[in-house]
Amino acid sequence: MAGKSGRTISAVPQKSILKRLLSWEGALVLIFIAVLVMGRIMSPYFTLENVLREMPKYLAEILIVFPMGFVLIMGEIDISVGSIVCLSATVACFAGNAGLPFPLVMLICLLTGLACGLLNGFILTRWPELPPMIVTLGTQIIFRGIAEVTLGSGGSLSYVNSKDLGILSKTLGPFPVAFFAVLIAAAIFIVVLSTSTFGRKLYAIGSNRTAAKYAGIKVSKIRLIVYGLAGLMAGMCALFILTTTFGANTTTGQNYEMDVIAMCVFGGIATTGGKGNLFGALIAGFSIVCLRIALGLINTNPQLILIIIGLLLIISVLISGISQMRGKKLKKKKA
Amino acid sequence: MKAFLRKITGNHEVTLGIILVVLFIVVDILSGFKFHGLENIGDIFKNNALTLIMSLGMLCVLITGGIDISITGTLAFAGMTIGLLQKYNIIHNTLLLFVIAVAIGGACGLINGLIIAKGKVSPIICTLGAMYIYRGLAYVISNNQWASGEDVTSFSKFGNSAGPYIILALAFVIYFVVMKWTPFGRKVYAIGSNREAARISGINVDRVEIAVYTLMGVLAGLAGALSVSIYGSAQPNMQTGKEMDVIAACVIGGVAMSGGRGTVVGTLLGGIFYAVVYKALPLVGLEAIWQNLIKGVIILGVVIINVLTQRAMNRQALARREI
Repeated sequence: MAGKSGRTISAVPQKSILKRLLSWEGALVLIFIAVLVMGRIMSPYFTLENVLREMPKYLAEILIVFPMGFVLIMGEIDISVGSIVCLSATVACFAGNAGLPFPLVMLICLLTGLACGLLNGFILTRWPELPPMIVTLGTQIIFRGIAEVTLGSGGSLSYVNSKDLGILSKTLGPFPVAFFAVLIAAAIFIVVLSTSTFGRKLYAIGSNRTAAKYAGIKVSKIRLIVYGLAGLMAGMCALFILTTTFGANTTTGQNYEMDVIAMCVFGGIATTGGKGNLFGALIAGFSIVCLRIALGLINTNPQLILIIIGLLLIISVLISGISQMRGKKLKKKKA
Repeated sequence: MKAFLRKITGNHEVTLGIILVVLFIVVDILSGFKFHGLENIGDIFKNNALTLIMSLGMLCVLITGGIDISITGTLAFAGMTIGLLQKYNIIHNTLLLFVIAVAIGGACGLINGLIIAKGKVSPIICTLGAMYIYRGLAYVISNNQWASGEDVTSFSKFGNSAGPYIILALAFVIYFVVMKWTPFGRKVYAIGSNREAARISGINVDRVEIAVYTLMGVLAGLAGALSVSIYGSAQPNMQTGKEMDVIAACVIGGVAMSGGRGTVVGTLLGGIFYAVVYKALPLVGLEAIWQNLIKGVIILGVVIINVLTQRAMNRQALARREI
């Protein structure tokens, strides 16, 4: 894009290969490879087939990472997605058990998620002073509350026509369908974020909301869309959850929001907004999934994963914080 | 009269207090005057002792503009540790066990504080990571074991005595005094209202922040010991997700998430508010499974009403200035 003055304006700065490797995404790729190598050394069962067989259990969570990335880049947060997964799965179970054809059940599941997300968006845009954390905390409790009430005192419901779910739990070659779903979603979300005006607007809102508003960006409309998307993808996640659990209960999707936010932050997205990209979040998500599978295969306390995720999260944020502080000091010295 | 009305509607604590009293009376009438018994009220406090205790620490954290979601992890880690100490017959002294739990909590909180204040990590991310770590530590040290009723018999005697009430009352009195009349309390408010101004006026922001998170940890550790004592068992997954209840209690009590606003009295009322609603549900014929749904509606309702009254007040202030 050469302007009148001949200056070129490019949103993507040119980087050498070395710089790319030293960037956070490069480091994440290395961490991902390290996880795979370590898994292979620690357990002889850490083979491609085993990993792919275990994968669907954890993959569905990654679907929510992308819209959550959008939310975080806007400088906001959505902690209701786990409950949306729970409610969508519950509704899908009821619809399926009522004898509706499976495509319709899928549609209902997705629409439930979308409706929940839009409700978040509506409340947040109708009363923009409200902090997203509190609103989504409220809806988190409400959505799971609705699921609890509909599930009744038993607290769980199994999907009777589990044959229907076969379409989603099939494998294409060695890869499960969920894997392709994640890749397709990743491609769409990454392209939208990095190349479309919509993506640029998200960064603008995240960097400076007031400036974005005066630059003519319809902030409320975009927020509504993003929260709707988060709900929609949570609904999709619920569909894939059903293929591994064959039912819904009151704890379905519990703590997913925290896992998903952790993946995003580990992937280099700043919760203060305006920074990060989804490619990093995707690799971070896969790293954590593979780490979970590896720890499940070696005979150790499976909860060790909690400590590892926590440490990775804090250390990754500390490193970027410290490097920023050093950068500022260097600038001061130069000046 | 008009000034009186304005005073009532303008003050969140007074409004909440009036609503609470009305609610209490309505529920008491509906239940055939069985609700106001001392035992019932005691139950309300005891069943919510953990939320109430931790909401004090959360109050300070929220006033500085931060947030701490690692508290139930800390609670589980401290509670599990003292549970195991009793299970393996190492320590049975109630006081010593409380000290250990509080010390563990304090250490966890101190780490949070150091990372947030010195490492400039945003509070939600730091405590999100810490939540995983402390909860994970609770699982790892427990090694799939529980400390059950028989293991903690002598310890749970404390939970069934007047002990929890005394601790609760002491904590609230201390916090009320500290937040209102001591330099430390004022500094916390100052940081929340305007961090830069506080720094320039000579407040050591980092040190106050570290102290706030350490205190939060101390209270979480104390809540861990109380939890083991009151419920008579320790599991690594205890009180999962309760951190949101604590935050919700603060928010209902009028604490602003953006910092700088909130009081101890408001927090107490917020904590009791849905404790009363909980207790009232079966009396008005709703099953226990409706609890969460209603809790969520209350939270949303309160914050939306807050925004609406704030808008009305701003408009009034503007109108008065134009005259």
